[in-house]
Amino acid sequence: MVFTDASMLITEACVKAGADVFIGYPITPSNRFYQYGTQRFPSFLAGPDEITVMQWMAGYSAAGKFPVSATAFPGLALMTEGLNMAYAMELPMLLILTQRLGPSTGSATTGAQGDLMFLNGAISGQYPIPVFSHSDFEDSWDMTYEAIKTAIKFRTPVILLTSKELVMTNKSFDLSTLKEIKPVEKFSASVVEPYKPYKTGDEMVPPYIPLGDDKYQVRINASTHNDAGLIKKNDPESMANTRRLKEKFEKRIDEITFYDFDDQSGADKLIVTYGISADAARDAVSELRESGEKVSLLVVKTMIPVPPKVMEIMDRFGSVIFVEENIGGIYKEMIYGNNSPKKVSSVNKIGSLISPSEIVKAVK
Amino acid sequence: MTKNKILNKVKMPFCQGCGHGIIVRSIAKAMEQLGYTKHDTIIVSDIGCSGLVDPLFDTHSIHGLHGRAPALGVGVSLGLDKIDKKVIIIQGDGGVTIGLQHVLEAARRNIDVTLVVMNNLLYGMTGGQISGLSTQKFKEQKNFEVDVPPFDIVKLAHASGAAFSARATSINTYTDVLKEAVEVNGFSIVEFSSLCTSYAFKKLDELQEVFEDAEVYRNERIPVRAHQQEKRSLLDNLQRIEGEYDSKIENNIGVVIAGSAGGGVQSAAKLFATTGMLSGLHSTMKGEYPVTVGTGFSIAEVILSRTPVNYTGLENPEVVIIVSEDGWNKVKGNIHKNSLVILDNSLKNDETESLESKVIFKDFNRAAGKRGAALAALAYWINDSGTMDINSLKKSVSSHKYSRVLLEAIDAGLNL
Repeated sequence: MVFTDASMLITEACVKAGADVFIGYPITPSNRFYQYGTQRFPSFLAGPDEITVMQWMAGYSAAGKFPVSATAFPGLALMTEGLNMAYAMELPMLLILTQRLGPSTGSATTGAQGDLMFLNGAISGQYPIPVFSHSDFEDSWDMTYEAIKTAIKFRTPVILLTSKELVMTNKSFDLSTLKEIKPVEKFSASVVEPYKPYKTGDEMVPPYIPLGDDKYQVRINASTHNDAGLIKKNDPESMANTRRLKEKFEKRIDEITFYDFDDQSGADKLIVTYGISADAARDAVSELRESGEKVSLLVVKTMIPVPPKVMEIMDRFGSVIFVEENIGGIYKEMIYGNNSPKKVSSVNKIGSLISPSEIVKAVK
Repeated sequence: MTKNKILNKVKMPFCQGCGHGIIVRSIAKAMEQLGYTKHDTIIVSDIGCSGLVDPLFDTHSIHGLHGRAPALGVGVSLGLDKIDKKVIIIQGDGGVTIGLQHVLEAARRNIDVTLVVMNNLLYGMTGGQISGLSTQKFKEQKNFEVDVPPFDIVKLAHASGAAFSARATSINTYTDVLKEAVEVNGFSIVEFSSLCTSYAFKKLDELQEVFEDAEVYRNERIPVRAHQQEKRSLLDNLQRIEGEYDSKIENNIGVVIAGSAGGGVQSAAKLFATTGMLSGLHSTMKGEYPVTVGTGFSIAEVILSRTPVNYTGLENPEVVIIVSEDGWNKVKGNIHKNSLVILDNSLKNDETESLESKVIFKDFNRAAGKRGAALAALAYWINDSGTMDINSLKKSVSSHKYSRVLLEAIDAGLNL
């Protein structure tokens, strides 16, 4: 056994999956990533601000290196401009977002689950940026790998959504339970000739070839562009390219659908949760079942885009209880809107962790 | 050598007489004369009239956001495996002020890129508004923001450490200045005066009358490049801890340790969590302290459990150890009546003595010093409660670099 934290497991998983460089600007409660990043990544850069960090990341990615950064909401706010750019350019990268209590600077050392709604609209025009969430040590490792794999496979920035208590709590842990991670193959094995930077086949993702390549002339573009990577507006090819940014995820959603579903036969109540609230929900479910209550538990890990499979599970239950550490249920609102059906309720709290007893009380 | 055509045969997208076209041609000419090919030239473009350049160059290109091209270009340059590739960043005066920090940062690091600033003194795409690089004379003519001096981007870049900073005002010098800039090993910037026939002047000599003079500055520096180095797994460095001792803890126990920053609270809690693991238990630990880590309270929560711990919150801790006033003030509102409260003698007052909980006062600070008090209190409680073998705590400090001092604190606690 070792005594460690999820920041270290995530950092280690990043490098094992083939990440090349950590580019950061420190911010509480993401500081351990920065610290571990200096110790573990093959390359490390200290950016002067988060806007620069995101641009440097995009540049590295365009040159064929996989960049990682970690921040909290105030940093994300600055990075959002560059995140939109990298998304439109289709540049693989990983951003770890450690949630803390907002709004604004809020409380830097208090955890929260308050950023999902922002992420759901972060890309202008209803384009989904993949957001994965981890809920314990094992899946901090697994979801980091899946996040990097997704970033490369779909040529996209990916967010790993976490929170203060998830990455700053130390636990005794058996490292032998971790799956082996091998580096994700970065570059496209084959290119359809004649090569065009944004020309895609059935997989709907353009080949990933770095700038400076000696064989292919690479053009990368953040503005509306055609297959050649040049600015072109209001023409069918460019609009198809723009629509593809959403369609590539819709078409291949099963490849990036991750959740844990602990289904109890005969249960009509479902607890839906993610991230830091999942541990309390697991304890609550054990307690409820011991007391004879029938209840199922869904821990969601693919937050954005919302996988149809996740919604199918929710549809099967007569009562759905969302558990989230925020003021009114962000994920609930993402799924059911402002006018949620009667079967939907939620357990919410700000300023401290939701406890198992609070969940038990709400379910009974 | 000049067989390599850098420029496409496409019509320039600029207004008739615009100065941007001649700068684009000069860049191509400089690169061709220096022997660069389409595969080893990377054009990084910005937004605005200067951002229309991508299709003109038959090279690699990346078109980003307004003001950010210098930062994007720095990322590209550092990320490239081959250092013989050349990154040329092109932006206008509008982009320079949006991302001024990026220019200064690239200069400070002396990153190996060339930044071309096409200064037409105004924002050409939005109606000819004044920019931060509009010259004094031009603003006087426009009678706008005359009292605000312009930035001198050439001098700023030089002061920030750029290997080469220049301003070129005469067309017949453009190619030579660019060749010099491109050949510099490190960050180079060239500001060009560019004619905007739509919003400024119809004739070049009118522009030249209001523009700053040509100049060149150099800093003798080597560029900062990216370092790639394989490093050891962080997990390999973690201490392996196996259960070697017995424990009387049946299910789980939660312990809160509260003190002051610099009082060894976090390290004592970590040793205590390790002690639990040495006693065959699962453990969790979290710390809480103000963002100013060197002052105020320091709180740690540890859970020791027979089974793996999911939820790590602590509502009713079995034991609360408080060794300083800062710690007391932070936790006093949350003390449960069923908790055992262990306090330093210095905290004896009406408030602490009237607690509903069972309270023990001991002289931890006097016995073990300010830095040892938390560990001494944990040693006292382990021994007094008999929950774990005290040798497991001693073992947990054995490989610590301050083990001697820590063992003294433990002994001090045991003797109370």
